Amino acid sequence: MATLTGMNISSPRLAARPLRSSSPQPQSLGFPRLSRRTPLRTRLVAAAAPEQIEEKVAESIKEAEETCSENPVSGECAAAWDEVEELSAAASHARDRKKESDPLESFCKDNPETDECRTYDN
Amino acid sequence: MAVSTVYTTQSFHSTCSISTPSKTHLGFNQKKQILFYNSCGKSTFMRRLTSVFGGAAEPPKGGNPDSNTLISDTTTVICLDDYHSLDRTGRKEKGVTALDPRANDFDLMYEQVKAMKEGKAVDKPIYNHVTGLLDPPELIKPPKILVIEGLHPMFDQRVRDLLDFSIYLDISNEVKFAWKIQRDMAERGHSLESIKASIEARKPDFEAYIDPQKQYADAVIEVLPTQLIPGDNEGKILRVRLIMKEGVKYFNPVYLFDEGSTISWIPCGRKLTCSYPGIKFTYGPESYFGHEVSVLEMDGQFDRLDELIYVESHLSNLSTKFYGEVTQQMLKHSEFPGSNNGTGLFQTIVGLKIRDLYEQITASKAAAPLQATKA
Repeated sequence: MATLTGMNISSPRLAARPLRSSSPQPQSLGFPRLSRRTPLRTRLVAAAAPEQIEEKVAESIKEAEETCSENPVSGECAAAWDEVEELSAAASHARDRKKESDPLESFCKDNPETDECRTYDN
Repeated sequence: MAVSTVYTTQSFHSTCSISTPSKTHLGFNQKKQILFYNSCGKSTFMRRLTSVFGGAAEPPKGGNPDSNTLISDTTTVICLDDYHSLDRTGRKEKGVTALDPRANDFDLMYEQVKAMKEGKAVDKPIYNHVTGLLDPPELIKPPKILVIEGLHPMFDQRVRDLLDFSIYLDISNEVKFAWKIQRDMAERGHSLESIKASIEARKPDFEAYIDPQKQYADAVIEVLPTQLIPGDNEGKILRVRLIMKEGVKYFNPVYLFDEGSTISWIPCGRKLTCSYPGIKFTYGPESYFGHEVSVLEMDGQFDRLDELIYVESHLSNLSTKFYGEVTQQMLKHSEFPGSNNGTGLFQTIVGLKIRDLYEQITASKAAAPLQATKA
């Protein structure tokens, strides 16, 4: 019974997690390695940049297509597509940074023997 | 004060994250400057290079989070985009791309690179790639090894003359297109047409201002589609050529079996088993823009560690400090793009060559004052 009660309490949190993933909160399950306590500030920054940049990329593409339909050989057309390229590159970088921005992962890469980094295979 | 600079440019219409198919740039104050086209510090090549020198390269602590600079114990990598004279809005108004020299302040670039080479700190502007604006400058202290990467490292003659070594990363059009597709197709808003249009619109400026720089480079890494698979257009298997200029001071080109001869080598056979399409090496003297060069070429992919060590054991003049150093460096960064083909291999080898160059320069500068006192 005690176990069931425990599960009832925890499962709503687990169910709610996917909804909250768009505005990340520090997660703490109390399991070593499964809990990633990353500062809220950096999490928010990591999530926000790609969306903003993605918007910028999409906008810049539309703008470039418009500019070039008017005059395909102008400097403006080239400059517009150059902007698309710059933003696409920035978006790609942001995506990569997001992937590698977990402080716990980077710490554990260098210090796998510490307590925080112990993993359990079974 | 001895200063050495190494420049490499990576002719890449994108940041180095594209160069990866999976994701897609002295006590004696010796400085080496390496230039990459538009990769700005985060490129795989830069990471391999700084790894050869030891220590991790990080953005300056406590500064602008959008800084393009990377600093390690020995090396500072600065991005030449920081010398844009026009920000994104300015370029749009004038109708010029970032590739156009009119968008860059070469006077400032020359002044600051020269100052750092002479051992002075500089207040270098920051070009923010996220906002497209020029941010307030950051202080850069003169490092032992200075690497400059970007679009125009060898464009201005004065800057070119400051370099101790230069590298150009020349990606062929087909490979560039394939990589950009991999990078951008995931991006909402992009389509095959928009990617093609972007490349085409920038091609005239690229061919006028960027591509010609490769003739000045001491080493060129050329990336082409494979010849091992007839009709391949996926761009997954690469043919990579390391073009090394002959007669460059302190730079001894890598060779296969017999220096100066022409060799064609398929390591796969009885001793080494490779999976399709295998690996093929060629080596030989050629002429490149009127210069004598030696070209080492690798076509294909490494599947296993033992292939890599087997190949390493047959190459000469690698400037390794111990047997297996190339393999070790490649393994250390096995998650980097290009780790299983010639791009990773040659970038690692060039990194070792640069280390060797740096040590020779340092040694010769140390010897010079001694000789002066003897005389």
